[in-house]
Amino acid sequence: MNESHDELQWLAGQYVLGTLALAQRQAVERRLPQEPALRAAVDAWEARLHPLTALAPPEQPSPGLWQRIERSLPMPAPVRRQGGWRQWWESVNFWRWSTAGALTCSVLLALLVLRAEPPAGAPSYMVVLVAPQDKAPGWVVQTGGSGRLNLIPLGVATIPQEKALQFWTKGANWSAPVSLGLVQPGRTQQVALEKLPPLQADQLFEITLEPGTGSPTGRPTGPILYIGRAVKVTS
Amino acid sequence: MTDALAFDHEAALLACAAGERGALQRLYQQEGRYLLGVALRIVRDRALAEDVLHDAFLNIWTRAASFDPSRGAARGWIFTVVRHTALNRLRALQHEVNAGDDLEELADHHESAVQAPEWQADLGRLEDCLGQLSDAKRASIVYAYVDGCTHSEIAERLKAPLGSVKAWIKRGLAALRECIG
Repeated sequence: MNESHDELQWLAGQYVLGTLALAQRQAVERRLPQEPALRAAVDAWEARLHPLTALAPPEQPSPGLWQRIERSLPMPAPVRRQGGWRQWWESVNFWRWSTAGALTCSVLLALLVLRAEPPAGAPSYMVVLVAPQDKAPGWVVQTGGSGRLNLIPLGVATIPQEKALQFWTKGANWSAPVSLGLVQPGRTQQVALEKLPPLQADQLFEITLEPGTGSPTGRPTGPILYIGRAVKVTS
Repeated sequence: MTDALAFDHEAALLACAAGERGALQRLYQQEGRYLLGVALRIVRDRALAEDVLHDAFLNIWTRAASFDPSRGAARGWIFTVVRHTALNRLRALQHEVNAGDDLEELADHHESAVQAPEWQADLGRLEDCLGQLSDAKRASIVYAYVDGCTHSEIAERLKAPLGSVKAWIKRGLAALRECIG
């Protein structure tokens, strides 16, 4: 761009001040990612004029606005950005939220144990799968020692087109999680445990968002949508 | 409510970038009413302002990873996203045809007749520098930045010719840059 320093300052100043027409604003916004000089001029104007935002009196948002925002948020994609699934699985974050999620889990367990009817004699486990970010419970897993488990949704979920939910588990000493197959959103389903060792307390379960035909690598590749640990149910 | 000075906006943005929805909610709880206030002054309609806040928070969420602390403060960045979301929405509604920059032909009219807006807030260095401007220049800049006014709207408010308003803004901005650095 053949603009003098003053012209660049003038354009950036008008952009930040807000006096440009829409087409000019959009032209500036298109140039910003490519032009460090323009970006620096805009940043400096933002910093200079920012104190003027204090002149607008605060206005309390409507009670439902946050829920509206939250519903519009795209699926979480933290896992890839944090260096891969394995790191996340073993990271401090996981332990932090799984502890915080315990309260939710125990409340739900108390409710659900009343409904569970495990076969007599077999140890029975339950898992509440919660969203990593806000700990909202999304699914409950029930086992009865019969080599199968029931996966019960707690709400209606929608997933992007051409994506699928994949269900995984990992025991304490396993080197990697094992796929339990693709699962349907919002539907109660039975999952065979077939060749897996018997369930253990604290065994991890999770549901990740994967390509429509499932993870191409046999390991979780997409973001973790729900995750939880098995808790032994004594009846 | 966390104290504004104690709230760590930068940490909240970093957590948003890592996909932590709770961090976005904390930002909303901390700044929502101030941000809605800013948006409302610009778009001048309560429902529209809430739409702007909605869109701006989605922008904050999706763009949090691009926030660069070396380019400015995190709180300022959040306000920037809201202001520009509001301005783009307002300008899209207005479809205003820009009259172009024919500043050179225009002289200052009525500059001494203009009454500048007054305020209670402490604006720090900016306030000192605004104080050195003529009332006309100060009013033009505040009406543009805070109220999202176009040149013609400012001209109407100040009962001044359009060309004068443009000249006041150009010279006012140049003087502010000189003064603030």
